[in-house]
Amino acid sequence: MATTSATVGTISREETAAQRRRSLNRIGLWLFILSETFLFSGLLSSRFFLSGLDRSDHLDQTLGLGITIILIWSSFTAYRAETYAFHGKQKEFSRNLVFTILLGVLFLAGVGYEWAQAFKHFPPGTGFGTLFFTMTGVHAFHVLTGLIALTAVFWVGRRGQFTSGNPWPVEGAVKYWHFVDVAWVFIYPALYLVN
Amino acid sequence: MEQDKLKSTQKLGVAITVILVVLVALEYVVAIAMDSGNLPWMLIMNVIDAALIIYYFMHVAHLWRGGHD
Repeated sequence: MATTSATVGTISREETAAQRRRSLNRIGLWLFILSETFLFSGLLSSRFFLSGLDRSDHLDQTLGLGITIILIWSSFTAYRAETYAFHGKQKEFSRNLVFTILLGVLFLAGVGYEWAQAFKHFPPGTGFGTLFFTMTGVHAFHVLTGLIALTAVFWVGRRGQFTSGNPWPVEGAVKYWHFVDVAWVFIYPALYLVN
Repeated sequence: MEQDKLKSTQKLGVAITVILVVLVALEYVVAIAMDSGNLPWMLIMNVIDAALIIYYFMHVAHLWRGGHD
């Protein structure tokens, strides 16, 4: 009897320590996201400071809308992957994570195509070109690092480590991916729509 | 019970995604329809978009409430 209650006490202590560790991880990640917000806020304010409300007529509005919807869709599949990981469903978790990665690659391909067009109409040497390439470039780099994080989570978690145990790496990578989406939600209208 | 919770979480995800896509499409329509002065509308819709993602997808409330869906 005494042994059982001692075991229960040990498990309870371990659970509390794990919860505390996860809380600390979350606070750390949110602080990191906050610091990233300052970077994107600076870029956004420089866009309006240097170029006012002017935008290029050569931007492909439909492509901009398309890649924005792709990124929102990828946020949805990332959300599903995270939910499935927390509910221990390995197959669904992996499938949704792969979808997220593919949609992220599709988004990058769209940005790459837009860059090829942009070089012809407003090269990086022009005022709007500088803003466009800096903002989309910094964002695309964040998408790339997000894809690396998601791929690492997929690779490490392919045998069920995250669906049967600690799902924190999934939560961290997916939260970062959502942040990339939030940043684009502001960059897209600032470059393509505001007039 | 666990299955019901998973289903309701997934339904919420679908609803939020639909709202986000509608808002982004609305931004596009407003930009096409308004030749100038669309900044305040864009700003309002962007803030709603960001708030939905941060609250429902990034689970910001877990910071002070703890736990996970």
